[in-house]
Amino acid sequence: MKKQFRAAAVIAAAALALTACGGGGDAADPANVSPTGEIKPREISWLLSRPADGAVINIMKKLADDYAQEHPGFELNLITTPDRPSYIQKLETLAAANKLPELFDTDATPFARQLAQQGKMVDAEKLLKSLEIYDDYRPGALDYQRFDDGSLFMIPFQFELEFIWYNKALLEEAGVSVPTSLDDIPAMCTALRNAGITPIAIDGQDQWPLERYVAYQAFREAGPEFVQKLKKGEASFADPAGQKTVEWMAELGKAKCFQDGFSAQGYSDAQNQFTSGQAAMYNIGTWELPSLATDKLNPEVRDDIDFFTLPTTEGSVTAANEFVSPSGIGMAVNSKTYDPLVSDFLKFALEKYPSEYAATGALSPTTNVQTSIPANATPLYNRALETANGLGDQQAMPWDTQLDPTTNGRLQQELVLLVQGNITPEQFTTTMDATIKQNAPKFFK
Amino acid sequence: MLPNRSKTSVLVFLLPPLLLYCAAVLFPILQSLFLSFFSWNGISEMEFVGFANYVRMLTADDIFWRSFFNALLYLAICLVLQLGGALVVASLLTSLRRGRELIKTLYLLPAVISTVAIAFLFVPIYSIEPVGLLNQLLHWIGLGNLERAWLSDVNTVLAAVSAPEGWRFTGLYMLIIYAALIAVPKELEEAAVLDGASKWTLFTKIRFPYIRPVWITTTIMATTYGLRGFDIPYLMTNGGPGQSSELLTTYMYKTAFTSTDFGYASTISVFIVIECLVAVGLILFLLKRKADA
Repeated sequence: MKKQFRAAAVIAAAALALTACGGGGDAADPANVSPTGEIKPREISWLLSRPADGAVINIMKKLADDYAQEHPGFELNLITTPDRPSYIQKLETLAAANKLPELFDTDATPFARQLAQQGKMVDAEKLLKSLEIYDDYRPGALDYQRFDDGSLFMIPFQFELEFIWYNKALLEEAGVSVPTSLDDIPAMCTALRNAGITPIAIDGQDQWPLERYVAYQAFREAGPEFVQKLKKGEASFADPAGQKTVEWMAELGKAKCFQDGFSAQGYSDAQNQFTSGQAAMYNIGTWELPSLATDKLNPEVRDDIDFFTLPTTEGSVTAANEFVSPSGIGMAVNSKTYDPLVSDFLKFALEKYPSEYAATGALSPTTNVQTSIPANATPLYNRALETANGLGDQQAMPWDTQLDPTTNGRLQQELVLLVQGNITPEQFTTTMDATIKQNAPKFFK
Repeated sequence: MLPNRSKTSVLVFLLPPLLLYCAAVLFPILQSLFLSFFSWNGISEMEFVGFANYVRMLTADDIFWRSFFNALLYLAICLVLQLGGALVVASLLTSLRRGRELIKTLYLLPAVISTVAIAFLFVPIYSIEPVGLLNQLLHWIGLGNLERAWLSDVNTVLAAVSAPEGWRFTGLYMLIIYAALIAVPKELEEAAVLDGASKWTLFTKIRFPYIRPVWITTTIMATTYGLRGFDIPYLMTNGGPGQSSELLTTYMYKTAFTSTDFGYASTISVFIVIECLVAVGLILFLLKRKADA
């Protein structure tokens, strides 16, 4: 009978959402970015999914304190849930209850698109233009936040580049060189395994790292449009680009590219394997520069670490300078609670944010500031940052921000099975295409 | 026999807990029954779909059936470890002269540790790269060929996530059964021994029948706890790899809070309620019938 309590708990949450939904007011006009009236200081909240002691939160806290000095009574309440799956659950439940705070984080997911379509988010493009800071932003940073129709409802606070970091000494030991094509990687893994080296360290527990790999071949073969079509059911895994992806993932598995038992290993497990010199490669973004390109890195491997960007393939439709360059989870502004105060605070904070952020050694989402290199950085740090200056126009989108949640969950599960060799590429294709067919219509009507 | 006035006051005092029970248990069940006939993702319009969710669940959802059978296996492993283990340990304890309290406490210890801690404790134990405790032990005793990534292998993961849950509550049930065992009248046992009963006969003919009511309660407790198993599999593997350690509860949770398919998640929860009622009914029926026979 205890079981009933579990059911009760879940349904109680849903019931809460249901009752709250009835009482919810209508959303305000999302295009009205300059509300008129008096600025009445009050406490506002930002529901976010960022590291609790990270640069974004520390800077925004400081800026909010500065703003409160001029506007007594103002307070910015930052509620962070760094664990992304938990955060998404929280966000979706609050959205269902129509209880979203003034500011909240979200990727350009199908769920966020529905919120935007219901007029629950302020048009970020209009907002940034009205603050006259729109042109400061890197086009790539804004593009990452856009929905497929080009509309922009989220404001970026970061700009990151994802590289494949590698250990030169280990590659040399196995007699392999940096791959020039994605198709070289399986053979490279075999050579590394033969030399007794783990080819790639991956955080399997969080699932998104493995999902990155599924985006690569498709992005090279058919460009960023493939996943946009796939998620709506207009393309399928049975298409040539899809098949190339599936076969490649299976080959990575067959060549034992990832550490044994990767599916149960976490973020720090994977990073430790790489930084302790046990694994040859590690796919991660510039947010890890402080641990990979400063004197914090294990001295034994410090001189051996380097990175390469996503290799191309023969006949690739995207260029070598186009890869995954996310601007992180974006911040949306709730249109229902948008008033002169929120507008004024955003104007104050967004103008001051880039210089503060660049001072921490991170890449700003804008181009009007210069990132300061930390004193303890290795030469790699600067080289990584400079890569941002030569980016192409297209970028590979992480699929977890693109697919509907059910398809995404199933894809993450099936990918592990495919890579572990528990299912065949054919089974994978059939299952995934059927899943998309069943779930996509609900989100992309 | 209570006078009439007293009866009324008893009812008055019973009413608040009854209302609380209705609000906390019955109402949500009815609410979920209601929701199970709708398609609703939290922010969309609620759309009445009749029995479509039930048809999908019973005929077209491979993950549902996979999780159902996983949940049964999970339950079986938990019951064997919890009830079987508890009975063995409790029986041995009764024949122990000294140190009972210490052993009882040691066995009970896991039941008071938080689930999250237990989950994080067991993940490295099962690990292969770097080598965890279990694989190291196997290596030392010469069973190196059994070494594997227990949580990544689709054939072992379900047992691997069930074991911590079973291990955790063995001590608790041991305590209950032990209390029942020491209440068995010594005269009965002595008389049986004088009549030449073996230890096994003593157990099957005297002790076990005597503790049967406690055994029924313990079985029902362990079964319902097992059927609602959620946290350890969810924390250790999140149902993976694939759906190998997905239980009905984790699947329902993901359907509701990751897929935001509240209607369909309610359908699954209705199934879980029915499943629990059937399980308890079955246990009562089987054990009562045995007792009557």
